[in-house]
Amino acid sequence: MALADVCKIGPNFQFRPFKNETVEDVCEQTANFTNGFQLALPPFADPARNLARFNKDESGKPIQFKFDHGTTTLAFRYQGGVLLAVDSRATGGSFIGSQNMKKIIEINDFLLGTLAGGAADCVYWDRVLTKQCRMYELRNRERISVAAASKLLANMFYNYKGMGLSMGMMLAGWDKRGPGLYYISDDGTRTPGKVFSVGSGSVYAFGVLDSGYRWDLTDEEAYQLGRRAIYHATHRDAASGGIIRVYQITKEGWTHIADEDCNDVHYKLEEAKAASTSS
Amino acid sequence: MSILSYNGGAVVAMKGKNCVAIASDKKFGIQLQLISKEFPKIFEMGPHLYVGLPGLATDTQTVHARLKFRQNLFELKEGTRMSPKVFSSMVSNMLYEKRFGPYFVEPIVVGLEPDTYEPFICNMDLIGNVCFPEDFVVGGTCEDQLFGTCETMWEPDLSPDDLFETISQALMSAFNRDAGSGWGAVVYIIEKDKVTTRHLKTRMD
Amino acid sequence: MATERYSFSLTTFSPSGKLVQIEYALAAVAAGAPSVGLKAVNGVVIATENKQKTILYEEHMIHKIEPITEHIGMVYSGMGPDYRLLVKRARKMAQQYYLVYQQEIPTAQLVQKVAMLMQEYTQSGGVRPFGVSLLICGWDKGKPYLFQCDPSGAYFAWKATAMGKNHINGKTFLEKRYSNDLELDDAVHTAILTLKEGFEGQMTEDTIEVGICDASGFRRLDPATVKDHLANIP
Repeated sequence: MALADVCKIGPNFQFRPFKNETVEDVCEQTANFTNGFQLALPPFADPARNLARFNKDESGKPIQFKFDHGTTTLAFRYQGGVLLAVDSRATGGSFIGSQNMKKIIEINDFLLGTLAGGAADCVYWDRVLTKQCRMYELRNRERISVAAASKLLANMFYNYKGMGLSMGMMLAGWDKRGPGLYYISDDGTRTPGKVFSVGSGSVYAFGVLDSGYRWDLTDEEAYQLGRRAIYHATHRDAASGGIIRVYQITKEGWTHIADEDCNDVHYKLEEAKAASTSS
Repeated sequence: MSILSYNGGAVVAMKGKNCVAIASDKKFGIQLQLISKEFPKIFEMGPHLYVGLPGLATDTQTVHARLKFRQNLFELKEGTRMSPKVFSSMVSNMLYEKRFGPYFVEPIVVGLEPDTYEPFICNMDLIGNVCFPEDFVVGGTCEDQLFGTCETMWEPDLSPDDLFETISQALMSAFNRDAGSGWGAVVYIIEKDKVTTRHLKTRMD
Repeated sequence: MATERYSFSLTTFSPSGKLVQIEYALAAVAAGAPSVGLKAVNGVVIATENKQKTILYEEHMIHKIEPITEHIGMVYSGMGPDYRLLVKRARKMAQQYYLVYQQEIPTAQLVQKVAMLMQEYTQSGGVRPFGVSLLICGWDKGKPYLFQCDPSGAYFAWKATAMGKNHINGKTFLEKRYSNDLELDDAVHTAILTLKEGFEGQMTEDTIEVGICDASGFRRLDPATVKDHLANIP
């Protein structure tokens, strides 16, 4: 009785009925093997609502999950296709877990996803999406559109809405309709757009992007703009840093343009600044 | 998030042979946002006396001002310089005065004792518990990382040049694993007849 | 009187510009038992007369020479009860200093603080000045120190001095006998001789007190040691 009180389990609280059949039991415990959409849920009813009650400690304070957070990612459409640029730092709290994470995921030759938020969430659901996109291709003998792929992802997020997934992703690609760019987030939002930036450093990146963005940027200008936006974000945002990775998508598919240490970028810019002021 | 890591910043100090070194980053941030790259955390309190005040930036400045106030009164009244040992006792005492509403700084005092020029280092927590280690002291947001780097890099009886190299590497390696500190660094090497100040070129992300 | 309702200072200026209360206090000092102090190259000595009025008094129980810290000692001429309050406050100030700085208070600092306290008693309401002059001796950083604190709050650094009854003669005697290269044992000798000037009755180890301060700190000499010193005096 006391334990039930502590766990706040009243008479209306439902455990999932215990099943004795071994095979069914095994299937249930390994559902994720056969169906990637299915994650093990906590053993009580209406997890989306009731999970929140267990995420508090004995004094009612929310229990902090310290998973990797903090990022700057950006993507924009322009006349030459889509340009994506990201940093490579992974932080947990203020600890830097990695300085060379890959935050752009290559879903197929024509689709790229960026990750921000919980690293594990992003990587997992991108993997599921990769599989689904390939399945689509095999079934329909044509590549999936960016719109469809992003809708798949948004639907997956929606299924787990309210259960603590943490993601802010961009999906970019090239399909029959030309360059496509969508923003999808853990609450199930899905929006197409021209210019996006996601993550803790996005405010700084937007500052640069908004002042330098035009539809008719040349490829080189677009690359410089993306790189500069990420550089400024890594400089001002403690949770962003490491390597600036830039990708471009054209009708030929994606190309990896460059990986550059943002420290080198910083000192090159400083030199250039010093040179221009002295001359 | 702890109030001690709200602004970020780190300080480290090491003993060498007839010399001491103290180094810090130059960052002043607000949580994740960088505000300034020119924020001093180490202050000269005398010819062979330096104090580092990592922690909440406003308290870094207040504590520095109040320490200088008390030190000036002492030195005027007694007509002598404050020794590092006496200075650190005063710091500790001042911090404990605010036991129930502390200043959020973890001071590090370094210097050479007058007359003997014996190297002196010490650090304390925010309410003034003092430690006098034989090797090095660390403080600030990347304290954990600094313990690791100092533990592996420090060795006894380092010359001033080697001490500079060691403390710089220890500090910069610690920065690499901490988002809360970095953005430039400054190192002071204190010897009997000179103090060398050097600014390090660090990562800027 | 209407003024009784306010605690105005007792120490008020006379039309001629004197503070008579302080002069009375100094008179109380000058009427008190004599005490002397002098510095040697390797220490300081302070000594005082401690005569008992009847043979019924227990000797060596209540002292006039008191340690303040490990390295500072004090003696007085004037009123005993006032002295005890000053001893208590001086000890407290020394400990407060140690608490803050983890270092023994320098003698000059203690003297300054005690003098400050004595001055406060000349300007505060509802109090009177102390009826004592103090001799404070100490040893810091390899050097001997000897100070005198007066009821007015004035303080002096001496090589050698005498206070209390007969202090004029005492000082004249010291001026003749003092030299800069005195050893501590000689200084004890001189101090006792100075007390002997105008000493009424028999001087024994029971009627004087001697305290010395050197590199090993401050201590009161025990009667046996004082007796040995007295034996060397013709």
